[in-house]
Amino acid sequence: MNGLDRVIHVRGVTKTFGKGDAAVHALKGVDFDARGGELLMIVGPSGCGKTTLLSVIAGTLGFDSGEVEVFGHSLHTMSQKQLTAFRAGHIGFIFQSFNLIPTLSVLENVTVPLLINGVGLKEAEDRARAMLEKVNIGKRGDERPTNLSGGQQQRVAIARALIHEPRLIICDEPTSALDKDTGQRVMELLSSVARGPGRCVIVVTHDNRIFNFADRMTEMDDGRVQRVHENPSKSMAGH
Amino acid sequence: MYRLGLKMLFADRAKYIMLLSGMAFAALLMTQQGGVFVGIIEWTKGNLKNMRAPIWVVDPKVEQVNEVKPMRDTDVSRVRSIPGVAWAVPMYWGILQARLVDGTFKPIQLVGLDNATMVGRPTKMIEGRVEDLRIPNAVIIDDLTVKRLSVGRAKPLGMGDTFEMNDKEARIVGICQTEKSFFGYPYIFSTYEQALQFAPRTRKMLSYILASPAEGWTADQAAQQIREKTGLGAYTEEAFGESTVKWFFKNTGIPISFMTTIILGFIVGVAVAGQTFYSFILENLRHFGALKAMGASDGLITRMVLLQAFTVGIIGYGIGLGLSVFIGWKFIQMGQPPFALPYQLPLGSFVAVLLICTFASLLGIRQVRKLEPAVVFRG
Repeated sequence: MNGLDRVIHVRGVTKTFGKGDAAVHALKGVDFDARGGELLMIVGPSGCGKTTLLSVIAGTLGFDSGEVEVFGHSLHTMSQKQLTAFRAGHIGFIFQSFNLIPTLSVLENVTVPLLINGVGLKEAEDRARAMLEKVNIGKRGDERPTNLSGGQQQRVAIARALIHEPRLIICDEPTSALDKDTGQRVMELLSSVARGPGRCVIVVTHDNRIFNFADRMTEMDDGRVQRVHENPSKSMAGH
Repeated sequence: MYRLGLKMLFADRAKYIMLLSGMAFAALLMTQQGGVFVGIIEWTKGNLKNMRAPIWVVDPKVEQVNEVKPMRDTDVSRVRSIPGVAWAVPMYWGILQARLVDGTFKPIQLVGLDNATMVGRPTKMIEGRVEDLRIPNAVIIDDLTVKRLSVGRAKPLGMGDTFEMNDKEARIVGICQTEKSFFGYPYIFSTYEQALQFAPRTRKMLSYILASPAEGWTADQAAQQIREKTGLGAYTEEAFGESTVKWFFKNTGIPISFMTTIILGFIVGVAVAGQTFYSFILENLRHFGALKAMGASDGLITRMVLLQAFTVGIIGYGIGLGLSVFIGWKFIQMGQPPFALPYQLPLGSFVAVLLICTFASLLGIRQVRKLEPAVVFRG
């Protein structure tokens, strides 16, 4: 791997939940890299540590030892306040259960990352409308998320994750709550709008129906990365 | 973000209404009961408001204005002789029975004013002249007397009409307006000599001596001189009011009973608002977690939660205060129960509502602050 390509660099990360007999060693010295411009999937059985690794990379979970560097920022040296600011500016999130706020409209949900970053309401709404158009849901901006189908809600979540143009998109089981066709369409959309040079998309999934969207796969088991391999059905040159 | 925080609150109608009701009820209970309490306390000072004088001289054992231990008539002269006293006049005050035309009796408060000076005269005359009290058997009645003693009459009592007190005829020469008093009985004014005729005879009849400080003396200094030189009790008007209020605090269950209600209002407010707001926060915990994951700081979320709590508190307070004022206005129209709303009361209840909001939000804020943003990845 070319060092210049490497945008995420994880070395020897360990994370244990609980103490004594109840201790669960979720990460046991994980080494992991991601390149700019790629859609990388972390796969593995339930409880293998993939969501924990994702949380560590996203800066939402502290770790016991090791080093994590994301786009040149060393997360292991940052304070909580710096981590919060880092997440606000550099990371977009797509969650398994969408995590849209049901009491806000679709448009308002999409504006949230911009408002957190201090963008004015008018500009945030204009940009949110444009982003909703981009994910083909522009006409539903004034509706409540609960009035939308699962696929449409995930489109809103994608719009929210991209609105502030983050460099890292973190997706946690983005298709597990969707049927096969909807999941495929969501991944197509994610591949087309989220990927870009200088940006990295990391998807944690156990849904093998969407493996074909990955540029590379990182297989985890028992708190360790077991194997990293290129997706044979895709070529990085095609991006 | 704050606008979105408020939308989150308003959109959850059931919780919002529950929160508003809790806050409004607490504010209503605290303000309305406080208003009735202040009203009662004001009523205890009714005599002081209706018979104005700079210094009140009473038996040394008397602590409040609604209590009378008659003094000797010669005490008036003793007070007049004190340096620092410009003048001193006798006053009679007692509760008598007035006879209605249907033969029933109603209690009234009879006030006997000094014949010469009419010190302690009614402060607001509606009809007639105070000086006409010098006519034999003359009385001035207040508007409440008109209402109470007109029962069974073809037309309300008016100028020139007569009624009986202690089997003696009283003729109305004036109608005045008075402040309500603690006993709630109407006031009837006559001269001191006339009052002694109306009232049942006892060995001592002098209820109060009303006095004024001489030039160059304050009322406080003159009252102190009277106390020292005569051994009688002497108060300035203000001090007698304070002493009266203190007496009611010390010797009646009124303050404790009202304070209990007011504290209950506060506790109910804390319980209802606290529980509802906490459950609102718990229901939205996942969304707060998502906001934290997306980079919302603890400070931002704390401010959002506080804004939600204080918004609902201030709106609820407004509703509660509005209801209190409406109920108080109705009370005043009906004449009872007493009600008064000095600015300290709504201010105090506002501070209490802010405290309720703070308590209610603190629990929720604690939950939100200790929430790890990674919670959003857990299914």
